[in-house]
Amino acid sequence: MGRDSNNQASGIDAQLVQRVRRNQWTGAIVNLSPSAFWLGVFFLAPLAVMFFFSFGERGAFGEVLLAAENLGLQQYRRFFIPEDTSILVALWATVAWLIETVVPGIETLSATQPTPYVRLLFKSIGYGSLATVVSFAVGYPMAYYIGHIAPERYQNLLIVLVILPFWASFLVRIYAIQLLLSANSVLMSALAVLPFVEQGASLMYSQFAVLLGLVYIWIPFMILPVYSSIEEIDFTLQEAAMDLGADRFEAFYHVIFPQSKPGVMAGSVLVFIPSAGASVIPELLGGTDSQMIGNFIASQFGSAGNWPLGAAGAFVLMGVMLLSIAAYQRGGGELG
Amino acid sequence: MMGAFRRARAALFERGAGLLVAQTAFVYLFLYLPIAVLITLSFNDSRYAVVWQGFTTKWYTALLQGETVARVDPTAAWNALLNSVEIAVAMVVISTVFGTMLAFALDRYDFPGKRLFTGVVFMPIIIPSIVMGISLLLFFNIAGIQLGTGTAIIGHVAFGISFVAVVVAARLQTFDQTMEEAAMDLGANELETLRFVTLPMIKPGIFAGALLAFAMSFDDYVVTFFIIGQENTLPIFFFGMVRQGISPGVNVVAALIIVVTMALVAVAQWFQGPTW
Repeated sequence: MGRDSNNQASGIDAQLVQRVRRNQWTGAIVNLSPSAFWLGVFFLAPLAVMFFFSFGERGAFGEVLLAAENLGLQQYRRFFIPEDTSILVALWATVAWLIETVVPGIETLSATQPTPYVRLLFKSIGYGSLATVVSFAVGYPMAYYIGHIAPERYQNLLIVLVILPFWASFLVRIYAIQLLLSANSVLMSALAVLPFVEQGASLMYSQFAVLLGLVYIWIPFMILPVYSSIEEIDFTLQEAAMDLGADRFEAFYHVIFPQSKPGVMAGSVLVFIPSAGASVIPELLGGTDSQMIGNFIASQFGSAGNWPLGAAGAFVLMGVMLLSIAAYQRGGGELG
Repeated sequence: MMGAFRRARAALFERGAGLLVAQTAFVYLFLYLPIAVLITLSFNDSRYAVVWQGFTTKWYTALLQGETVARVDPTAAWNALLNSVEIAVAMVVISTVFGTMLAFALDRYDFPGKRLFTGVVFMPIIIPSIVMGISLLLFFNIAGIQLGTGTAIIGHVAFGISFVAVVVAARLQTFDQTMEEAAMDLGANELETLRFVTLPMIKPGIFAGALLAFAMSFDDYVVTFFIIGQENTLPIFFFGMVRQGISPGVNVVAALIIVVTMALVAVAQWFQGPTW
């Protein structure tokens, strides 16, 4: 009797198991749920908390006020709009300041200065863009050499040599840059031969040092994607173009370069995003004039002690990164 | 005039190969010179570590015997290293399992909201570490979770899953699914197919993902700094040393870290083919 019902029960179980196994969703749910849980709880939820904080206010003792009457856009306003001005004035001040900085010769377009936070944000974007341009200018010819000219059997070795430093500790490599740029180092002593370099000069704690550090760390991310798109190009097209009367430059510019563009775009995003959001590199290599938005965010959660303002700054920075990814996708790029 | 310019331009491109060799050599020099200088200076017989004063191994001997060299305490460094390894190993195990499962789900199934979900999977790779670290700090604060190595592991897994998933998913794209059908037709069940057909074929991808996750965890400073509380990891310890300035002790620790990690990665790449 008991045995019988047992059999029946296991029959139902087996049926159930069969049904679960056959169900089209089972595989998806089983495989997705651990990661979905982890990313939801330990990635999205913390971001949501931070987003919520960015609408709060700082209390008199540095505590965070998050009651309903304290919530608002005041931190974002503080970030973008100088005190006692309107949005339009702030917008003009920002544009004018950008023109003044970029175009030499134009001094004062606007009486109002944009907020220090806005200036810091654009400075970081500037660092990111410069690091991207330099990485492209230096990395593209190299990727071209490895992908097209170098003998096939050395290609793998050459590309591994590009990646290898990326695996080695980031902080240690920044420290190595410090060793090179400090006063009396090998490099600086060698440079002292030049007439305009003083004995005992140092390049540390400067904007140049920060830029050099950014390029040094992130240039493999430019070289790799460019290399992989150049490697796939059919170079008989170049010969075809030259048979049809193009010189070498034209063949490169009109035929080869456009085909390597996906790699260039991927590389640019991969270099720009971490460079603009850097905080450790400016902290270790930069001086007071070369801090970036990442350092500002960190200090708001440390010594400056204004968490809501720091949180707002973090989301402004993320906005810039989303914009750069959107631009990349509009240009036909794909994630991954 | 225009013709001359065009000729010059074309001539430049004719000689391109030679220039490119020089350029490539220059970039390799740029990438490796600082590391070479660092390793050389760790053998420098001088308290002020930048100027070469002669060869010595005394800093190595002193540190390996447990003596403090210029504020660098080898015991603290060793404990920090142990913490780093513990966090990285735990993180790699969890993120490799979850990340591989995630890669399968993304590769094989269509489900509502897949595009959005894929975007979320990429986010931990893309967002600045400083944002990730601080948001986790706020979260642990609010949830009342005590900071320590445990929270560090949790935070590292949150980005490790994404790195593993992206690498494994790339491998799965080239995977021939008819192999699985063949195995099932021959009578294997799902688990047997997974064990004897699928996993062996995507093993290089999983290995590459795990290696990347390990490196990311072992090397991470920013996220860890915010969520580990009073504990130390090797990068946090090293950052503290670097903040105090260049010294022979830091040179030795730095040289050891870079030589050991690069050797390990070189060996791994030798066995597995290039990984990134």
